[in-house]
Amino acid sequence: MASSVSSQHDEVLVEEKSFARILTLNRPKQLNALSFQMVSRILELFLAYEEDPNVKLVILKVSILNGIVMGGGNGASMHGRFRVATENTLFAMPETAVGLFPDVGASYFLSRLPGFFGEYVGLTGARLDGAEMLACGLATHFVPSAKLPMLEAALCEIDSSDPGFISSIICQYSEQPSLKPQSVYNRLDVIDRCFSQKTVEEILSALEREVVDPRDDWISATIRTLKKASPTSLKISLRSIRVGRFQGVGPCLVREYRMVSHVMRGEFSKDLLEGCRAILLDKDKNPKWEPSKLELVTDTIVDRYFSKVKDEDWEDLKLPVRSKFNLPPHVVAKL
Amino acid sequence: MDRAYQRTRILTNHLIPNSPAQTVCLTSNECLSYSPPELSEKYAFDVGEMRRLMDGHDVEERDRLFGLIIQSKLFNPRVRGGKVFVSPDYNQSMEQQREMTWKRIEYLSERGVFRGWMTGKGEDVEMKRFACFEVLGLFDHSISIKLGVHFFLWGGAIQFFGTKHHHDKWLRDTENYLIKGCFAMTELGHGSNVRGIETVTTYDSNTGEFIINTPCESAQKYWIGGAAKHATHTIVFSQLNINGTNEGVHALIAQIRDADGNVCPNIRIADCGHKIGLNGVDNGRIWFDNVRVPRENLLNSVADVSPDGKYLSSIKDPDQRFAAFLSPLTAGRVNIAVNAVYQSKVGLAIAIRYALTRRAFSLKANEPEVLLLDYPSHQRRLLPLLAKIYAMSFAANYLKMLYVKRTPQSNKTIHVVSSSFKATITWSNMQILQECREACGGQGLKTENRVGHLKAEHDVQSTFEGDNNILMQQVSKALFAEYVAAQKRNKVFKGLGLEHMNKPCPVIPSQLTSTTLRCSQFQMDALCLRERELLNRFVADVSQCLARGESKEHSFNTNYQLAEDLGKAFSDQAIFQTFVEAEATLAAGSLKDVLGMVRSLYALTCLEDVTYLRYGYLSVDNAAAVRGEITKLCSELRPHALALVSSFGIPDAFLSPIAFNWVDANSWSSVQH
Repeated sequence: MASSVSSQHDEVLVEEKSFARILTLNRPKQLNALSFQMVSRILELFLAYEEDPNVKLVILKVSILNGIVMGGGNGASMHGRFRVATENTLFAMPETAVGLFPDVGASYFLSRLPGFFGEYVGLTGARLDGAEMLACGLATHFVPSAKLPMLEAALCEIDSSDPGFISSIICQYSEQPSLKPQSVYNRLDVIDRCFSQKTVEEILSALEREVVDPRDDWISATIRTLKKASPTSLKISLRSIRVGRFQGVGPCLVREYRMVSHVMRGEFSKDLLEGCRAILLDKDKNPKWEPSKLELVTDTIVDRYFSKVKDEDWEDLKLPVRSKFNLPPHVVAKL
Repeated sequence: MDRAYQRTRILTNHLIPNSPAQTVCLTSNECLSYSPPELSEKYAFDVGEMRRLMDGHDVEERDRLFGLIIQSKLFNPRVRGGKVFVSPDYNQSMEQQREMTWKRIEYLSERGVFRGWMTGKGEDVEMKRFACFEVLGLFDHSISIKLGVHFFLWGGAIQFFGTKHHHDKWLRDTENYLIKGCFAMTELGHGSNVRGIETVTTYDSNTGEFIINTPCESAQKYWIGGAAKHATHTIVFSQLNINGTNEGVHALIAQIRDADGNVCPNIRIADCGHKIGLNGVDNGRIWFDNVRVPRENLLNSVADVSPDGKYLSSIKDPDQRFAAFLSPLTAGRVNIAVNAVYQSKVGLAIAIRYALTRRAFSLKANEPEVLLLDYPSHQRRLLPLLAKIYAMSFAANYLKMLYVKRTPQSNKTIHVVSSSFKATITWSNMQILQECREACGGQGLKTENRVGHLKAEHDVQSTFEGDNNILMQQVSKALFAEYVAAQKRNKVFKGLGLEHMNKPCPVIPSQLTSTTLRCSQFQMDALCLRERELLNRFVADVSQCLARGESKEHSFNTNYQLAEDLGKAFSDQAIFQTFVEAEATLAAGSLKDVLGMVRSLYALTCLEDVTYLRYGYLSVDNAAAVRGEITKLCSELRPHALALVSSFGIPDAFLSPIAFNWVDANSWSSVQH
């Protein structure tokens, strides 16, 4: 039984197919940038589905990552149980370039990547393809885009929520793609050596020490990217990932909410405004960061981003109370 | 009529298919499912603030090292119940465990973790080093010991027994692990009695060399960590015979392996073999057969030998010389004491988290089974130990500060306090781990659940770096000496926390109300009273023996039981003092309130000790009141149990599967992966 329950103006399209629900983000002109209406609608649907025994599987057509998935798109998809990449997938968390920091729970999922790859991805905004996402665990499966319609059809036939069973269905359409020879994922030893350093300054020094072969552009490009990013963003992002490594997803979201509140209020820096202007609006790609240098961003300044906002009208993010009973094990493991 | 109708309906349903589904009368019970404690327990105070108070220093440094360990494959990460845990694979052979320990050390060295540990100076460097050891101790005792031997013992000997030319020659290479050091003091025949060791060294003035010898089998060096496989150099402790005179125990540097790992000539090395735990440390035995080392290899900060063979020392008295000699070893003792606190924290975090999710027996039929930690008996087993570890934690921070701020005048105090705390904390560690193991039932026997295994790994703590019994005896001897000195000083006590002896003797009220029992002044009075009375008794009894013409040593040996009780009284009071001081730094609020309850539970548990009734410091009624108050405090602290163990700041990966979703960790699907 298939039916659509959406109108032209809905920013989230919903299809019901037996025990599956397919949610499709519907703001193509804005590249599906998440809006308040989208997020509210998705939350509303998720809360309803949790209580509904007739819903056993939700497919978020971002979690089938057949295209660009960046920023908020990752927030919507990376926390899902299954993330299916294709040969078209392009992943990035590019926030440090515009004066923000990898949010939407990135401090949780980036910090769990192997070695210090998470720090690398979060600080540089590096772009990863589907094969790389699978290799590092950001994606759970890789399915060629040509097989997506068949996969979707097979998923809509399921009548069980058992993750093992669903995974086996996805596996029937999956492949093991090889990494490109020049993939950054082949450089994990260098990445770990450099991005395990204590501070952003030491990470840069370590990278500079690694430049041995002038033809090896990758390290030089990484250094350039870091030098172009907002110094404040780099420092708060690094701490966010490092602290997030030891926190469950809930505390990560609460902490990131404090950080983004401070960023939005522009209390200590207006880098987000300047970044958006330079990269997105005027597109001169020449942002003037303030503070302009890493040394000027002290630990005390960084500390402030992690504290509560001093405003009567502000309060910490309150997550919905979950039922104590019958939470699936993979959810419990993330708390 | 009803019955006939019912029967007809049933028969109809049998005969006619597709009849509407009947309401099923039987509902299956929901399977036992795991519910994380975070969902049902609340935090009444800021856990981050409590953590900073308990760790005391270098929180970021600790977190960085946690991250380096968790993110590397070398530390044996395993996924259980959807979470990553790191812990050595103790199922590996002894040889494999030793190799892995070494690989981990190499990795940490490459990541710059040890930078500045030998060449840096100052309190900050020393505190940071303590913090790193506390973190490493959470992962594995073997790596902690191997590094401790190399940095605190070998490196510390160079720093404190050696002089400038030793520092210039050895410290940098030590820090960069270009050489691997070990520490050959203990022999088969002599451990606690260092002055009795039998290795002997003479001097050849023709060649300007010392000659080191192992004259008999009991003189072989034993339990030398690092010696069996990896160490290239060692500090050798030996009697020094110069011109026919035995000048006592001295320390020299000797190379035992070359850069390729081959044992040097004139040196024999054997393995101590498999141990009940700590198999990642390659303990070795060493024999020296006329080993010649250059004159410069004598560590000469206290005494020296001239090129033409004359013995020189600024300290004439051999006893004093020996004491000056050994005092630098305190760092190792401090390290052991403070480390032991953290292993107890792992045990308690696991046992308490488990007890917050594991159920057994219902009080009434059809009710859910009761959580382990909701039983008063289970609370009584674990919560006083939790209070104890809070106390030990503050004591450890005090000890570290005392050590890094050391002066020549404070050396004696540091020796007494470090001896007392090392013995008390390591004994307590064994007690806590045993109880935690039992509290986890059968799950406590699984190595991967860590709690039980920690016991075997850390058992050695009670006898190395000073046998605990000997250390406590030294405490009582020091208190005796202080008493005698005070008598000469117009009976004014100064130092070793004995100032309370200058005040009138405290009085215990005959009626002990709840308010009184929870008052820190009363608690301090009770602890000081016991120490005061026992010290008076001990001095009196020892003096009686001395008056009868017995030697000091014999008098102490005869009164060993009082000495033990006195040592314990000193420790409890000193530890409590640090707790009160830490509590005083807090602003009023829920954190201070909860900490106050923890402090009371610790104090009252000390007052339950048998000495209070044995010597009559508390009446039987008093003791009953104390006992009753402890039970009350346990139930009041029950709601804070999760917050109190979360405040340890130990990442989930360093606990074990039973502290989390132990149902999923044991599921069939996890077997298949």
